[in-house]
Amino acid sequence: MAGIEPPPVDSPASPSPASMEDAASECSTHPSFQCCICLDLLYKPVVLACGHMSCFWCVHKAMHAERVSQCPICRKPFYHFPSICWLLHFLLLKIEPLAYKRREEEVLEEEKHLDCFSPQVLDHVISDRACLEDVKGSSDGPKINDLPEIKFNSTTAKQVSLDDVICPLCKKLLFRPVVLNCGHVFCESCLSGLVDGPLKCQVCRSPHPGGIPNVCLDLDHFLEEQFPRHHITMKEGVGLERTQGQKGELSSGVPQAEKQTLKSSYNSGDGQLWFQGESSDVQIGVGCDSCGMYPIIGNRYRCKDCKEKIGFDLCEACYSTNSKFPGRFNQQHRPDHTFELDNSMLELYKKLMSQNHFI
Amino acid sequence: MLDVSRVQKELAECNKDKAISGVSINLHGGDDLSHLEGTISGPVGTPYEGGTFRIDVRLPSGYPFEPPKMQFVTKVWHPNISSQNGAICLDILKDQWSPALTLKTALLSLQALLSAPEPDDPQDAVVAQQYLQNHPTFVATAQYWTEAFAKRTSVGIEEKVQKLVEMGFPEALVKSTLDSVNGDENMALEKLCSS
Repeated sequence: MAGIEPPPVDSPASPSPASMEDAASECSTHPSFQCCICLDLLYKPVVLACGHMSCFWCVHKAMHAERVSQCPICRKPFYHFPSICWLLHFLLLKIEPLAYKRREEEVLEEEKHLDCFSPQVLDHVISDRACLEDVKGSSDGPKINDLPEIKFNSTTAKQVSLDDVICPLCKKLLFRPVVLNCGHVFCESCLSGLVDGPLKCQVCRSPHPGGIPNVCLDLDHFLEEQFPRHHITMKEGVGLERTQGQKGELSSGVPQAEKQTLKSSYNSGDGQLWFQGESSDVQIGVGCDSCGMYPIIGNRYRCKDCKEKIGFDLCEACYSTNSKFPGRFNQQHRPDHTFELDNSMLELYKKLMSQNHFI
Repeated sequence: MLDVSRVQKELAECNKDKAISGVSINLHGGDDLSHLEGTISGPVGTPYEGGTFRIDVRLPSGYPFEPPKMQFVTKVWHPNISSQNGAICLDILKDQWSPALTLKTALLSLQALLSAPEPDDPQDAVVAQQYLQNHPTFVATAQYWTEAFAKRTSVGIEEKVQKLVEMGFPEALVKSTLDSVNGDENMALEKLCSS
């Protein structure tokens, strides 16, 4: 994926008093699901490692093309553009069907204008559902076909059911949910229970850069509000484990030392090595379509066969592991496509650096 | 491209509680959403108390991913604000901007800047030097500037007009009376009642 400059838009609509009132009265019923950037209902939400969430496009636009990005809310640095959290997506579709549908139409209009699209829901859901079905050991065709119906016919808010918000590991209500770089959601305690070596998503197997992310508190509070009884049970359960396990360690299981290593690898690890000022090999404005690293540091492999304007690129690590994840911008990339090494943006970066453009 | 819908939301949101927050934001005139005017009331207990400060706000096309350009229109005596042209030295309006900040939070930050000057990172060296070396003179000057430039403006004139019109005075008369007393609401009322 390469950065795309938005084309100029026709003169902005004049703000009539009526439209101002509309904007004011359209406040989402769940203020915690308001995007901190567009100030509208979250659409295709992504959750950063610090636990803060924003819309897919808002996060993408807020990222820096030539250096490390920071969370718009807490300024915590991040290097990877996370994938959409589909669990939250479907949750929002249930709680705010009308507003979410409106957002979908608005965003699609913008995307058409840009000729660049966010990941579309069906591919992902089918692959995700397939994964989940595999886990359960049964495949249920009609379930997949039901989804478009939820998507297009619902006009009234539906009750969120427990099935929408369960952890794929413990199969219980998500408690202190954390969202990985791939967009899958787990209980904090479930993930910390199985750490050995680099963190991998237990659903899609994609590696997660850094340690266990922070709890997505907005989602946690929402679940507490929706399922107070379950939440208390979970709380007591984790409390029990805590007293049985090591002293004072909230997320049972993981020895303090190991957890600290994880944390420090997130805080100061790989990321900072990549961004060491002038010596770093920054592929300015180019991101990896597999792990989401943006900008790519080091070699960039460009797909020669993807026709989309935004292109399809991989970083060295993802190229060498033959990852098969779909593109971040709905590119129709296929495994038989061929790649070439392309360091043109790195050379541009070095040229700009030598002219002190970024100082 | 300017996020029109966000700016409209911000305008509505900011003006909802302007009486409490002491900051407001409006179109500069016309219907150009990229040129706005903010006002902040001088914080209580500072030399700026009682003043209303107007701020010219221009939104670049990259807003909210780029910071808004803000500049004081009302002359103000402050170490971090140019006494010549109103330019502001504040990190969040430069490299510390974040798209999660809004026009309201930026204006509130300016209000906080009025309360807590940072003379070690000055915009106006003369003012900063006076602040550090001759504080009583600084306070007196700032107070004088507030009195002279921030109190007799046409800020909020529409509200005052509306208020007086609601009391039953004809609009044209209210406007001319307010003009004649430099926008002082109480004096205007006195004049209107006695005429």
